[in-house]
Amino acid sequence: MHINRFRRSCVMLVSASLVSLGLQAPAVAGIVGTAEAVAAAREQGDRAAVAAAMARDDVRAQLLALGVDPAAADGRLAALTAPELATLAGQLEQAPAGGDSALAIVGLVFLVLLLLEYTGTIDIFKKVP
Amino acid sequence: MIRAALPTAALLLGLAGCAASPPLARGLPAERPRALELYATPFFPQEDYQCGPAALATVLQVSGVAVEPAELVPQVYLPGRRGSLQAELIGATRRHGRLAYRLPGTGQALLAELEAGRPVLLLQNLGSRALPTFHYAVLIGYDANRNIALLRSGRSERLAVRWQSFARSWDRAGRWAIAVLEPGVIPAEAQVADYLEAAAGLEAAGHERAAGIAYDAALARWPQQPLAWLARGNAAYLAGELAAAADAYARAVALAPGDAVARNNLAQVLIDAGCTDAARRQLSRAEARVAGPEIAARIAATRAQLPAETSTNALSCRLGERDWPD
Repeated sequence: MHINRFRRSCVMLVSASLVSLGLQAPAVAGIVGTAEAVAAAREQGDRAAVAAAMARDDVRAQLLALGVDPAAADGRLAALTAPELATLAGQLEQAPAGGDSALAIVGLVFLVLLLLEYTGTIDIFKKVP
Repeated sequence: MIRAALPTAALLLGLAGCAASPPLARGLPAERPRALELYATPFFPQEDYQCGPAALATVLQVSGVAVEPAELVPQVYLPGRRGSLQAELIGATRRHGRLAYRLPGTGQALLAELEAGRPVLLLQNLGSRALPTFHYAVLIGYDANRNIALLRSGRSERLAVRWQSFARSWDRAGRWAIAVLEPGVIPAEAQVADYLEAAAGLEAAGHERAAGIAYDAALARWPQQPLAWLARGNAAYLAGELAAAADAYARAVALAPGDAVARNNLAQVLIDAGCTDAARRQLSRAEARVAGPEIAARIAATRAQLPAETSTNALSCRLGERDWPD
């Protein structure tokens, strides 16, 4: 726990100093991966350039904050590519989350109809005064 | 630039925004069947808020993966959002060794998948743009005579929706739809970059062998596409096969001499194999053609591995005497 906290503060400190110095994180030597090459071909390269490790930490923290079991979070993160993590970072609260309850929709439609009925816009519930 | 070949507006099948979208029959090409239904598609009635796991299990089963929605819940469900994110459905697809191919946002693309026998996982917005209610469903068929879309959706095993309502709900959700594919299967109208991106995702998720099958299929389908050779080279490099990687990168460079990424990767293999002179030449070519700071930084990092002065290294180069593309 303490080690984690220490590592976290180290990462924060290093990140902060990199940002404040206006330095780019050093590029990784080696081949440019396929996902990255596709992103570059689409001219989204710089978006993917957001240090992948930072994006991963960010998404992980958000997953946990949104109730994902820590044991399950790592497997979920491992299934995403670096450009995807960069796109997702900071967006977990806003990104579309499909998961409506059918009842919620029926209820909403009913409420709207009822409201329109009362305001006199429509007249479909004959028994409603 | 790769996207330039996206299907034209003529293929939109009348899904062009809020303006009254026409009935299905009006945009249906003559060669398509008038009606089609994938009866054998399994059905999992969703629990509350769990349309993501239910819809994903449906298409995964059709692709040959025996998986139940309950197993997918811990892989995709976000309790705090009472739903599942698109990116995580794609991630979970990969975890089961399948490619998640993002389909173009045209009705034509959906119908082509159905005709190939694959139901389509898609996102709908059943609310309004201002007050969205996102919902995953599986398109299993259509009937142009009755003007309906057929869905496995929520607790409905066979939901028939007027085509225009379906088309608008899909449009309001950004026309997001994926085909879940066995590695090696390529949709009829697939784009090379989209397909390679899907395969690279599988590779990143640790399914290197499945990704390799997908790359081979991509090369068979698009032998003239440098990106396909680059992907093949990357897979070989990650597997430690330097000679195979160098050959594939060389093919990519020969097809696209201006491709700085392919030249950078070729240079990296040459460095690993001790062929520093050849690597130096590839890097100089790459530097002359680089576009964007990200790739420039990667090339600089590759160059930093080279020794300072030119050395005669014919003896140390483990890839033998070869003419690398200039």
